[in-house]
Amino acid sequence: MCGMSQGDGAAIEAVLAGDREAFGELVRRHSRMLFRLAVRMTGNEADADDVVQDAFLRAYQKLATFESRADFGTWIYRIAVHCALDRLQRRRQDEARRVSEDNDPEEGGVQVADSKPDPERLAISTEIAVLQEAAMRGLTAMERTAFVLRHLEERSTEEIAAALDVTPNTAKQSVYRAVQKVRRRLTQLKVMA
Amino acid sequence: MNHLSEEELVERYYNGAANSGTAGSGQTGAEAVHLDECAECAAAFAALEVDLAAMRPVELPDKGEYYGEQMWARVEAALPSRSLPARKSRLALWRGLAFAAGCAALVTASFYGGRFYEHLHQRPVLQGQRRAPASSPQQKVVVVVLGDHLDRSERLLVELKHADPESPELVNPLTEEARALLAANRVFRDDAQREGDPALTQALSHLDQVLTEIANRRSGLDAAALERIKNQMNADGLLFEVRVLRSKNPHRNKTVRVMARGGAA
Repeated sequence: MCGMSQGDGAAIEAVLAGDREAFGELVRRHSRMLFRLAVRMTGNEADADDVVQDAFLRAYQKLATFESRADFGTWIYRIAVHCALDRLQRRRQDEARRVSEDNDPEEGGVQVADSKPDPERLAISTEIAVLQEAAMRGLTAMERTAFVLRHLEERSTEEIAAALDVTPNTAKQSVYRAVQKVRRRLTQLKVMA
Repeated sequence: MNHLSEEELVERYYNGAANSGTAGSGQTGAEAVHLDECAECAAAFAALEVDLAAMRPVELPDKGEYYGEQMWARVEAALPSRSLPARKSRLALWRGLAFAAGCAALVTASFYGGRFYEHLHQRPVLQGQRRAPASSPQQKVVVVVLGDHLDRSERLLVELKHADPESPELVNPLTEEARALLAANRVFRDDAQREGDPALTQALSHLDQVLTEIANRRSGLDAAALERIKNQMNADGLLFEVRVLRSKNPHRNKTVRVMARGGAA
């Protein structure tokens, strides 16, 4: 996914040796890449900022388990995927509690009713982004993640599987279900327009 | 060959788009031939392309080149304290001790300097007057460090952010804390202004407004006042501003002012 730079390795060693400030180098280097992923997954800037922060905090706590041969960029990217996934699931649960309807037993996920976009979301949204956000709203957190990684981040099925800790076939199925739902939703939106 | 399923079309769309040799690409030869020959599948594939084109990546908000820096300020503020290894700990310990010794020397010098000064200036008065009553307040000297001030301010703002107006026993102590912070805040703000540090001046000015608002609520903070102050904090991005300053200001632990308690420097 991302090339491991020598600077990352040195910074990681320094952090593990007790130099907390060195972690700042890693944050500065990878924040924008993670923000891009997070904003696509969550659909708004405020959540994306929180996801990036959570990802780095988790990475810091688990840094001792990071294998030096691995690529830090790839590792933190996967952590961010999980943080975003957690946030999406929490958000869905909160919204579902409020809406308390439209459960989808077939998918095991939760369909939520449309909610008005918040100011943050409006601030970053073009007309296309609003349409996309509406089209993706019916996806489960897993499907949304798989779709964003495949369609917007252009990751391969294997990379998605690795990021989500699932088999390639499961990742492929999630992308496929997401595409189906997005297309269905786009058709509905075109009719409503 | 049978018509291509929707799943196969999706797989073909992405394998073609990303040029990645993922599972299923071995069939692409036969599928490609079929797509060329079958108008129905070609139409289905074209429809899929149109739909997915509507989901093409849009321009993302530009967070600017300092995003990494801002994120580090957030992350650093939330990092758990981790004990440093022995080599580093010893160094940190010596540095801490040196700093503490410096502060202690400064306090002592200020205290005795103040007493000496007071002594010199009060003698003529005392000679001409009766002895001052024993209960006259003696001015105490306190040392304030910018880093500590920002720490306390951040704590206050966080408590304020989560304050519940239904719990006055938790909210009302905030007014006392705001009063305690106000004098030092003004001293540091004036210093920052004099030294030409616009970021610090602006943040401390915002902080001053909020602290003043809280400190003046002698009867306590009601729900409306709390809401107004929270809105003011949010509008200024005050908490974030203070966090950034707290973690990034290189002089935070060196900027030390000696003040008379409850007054200016």
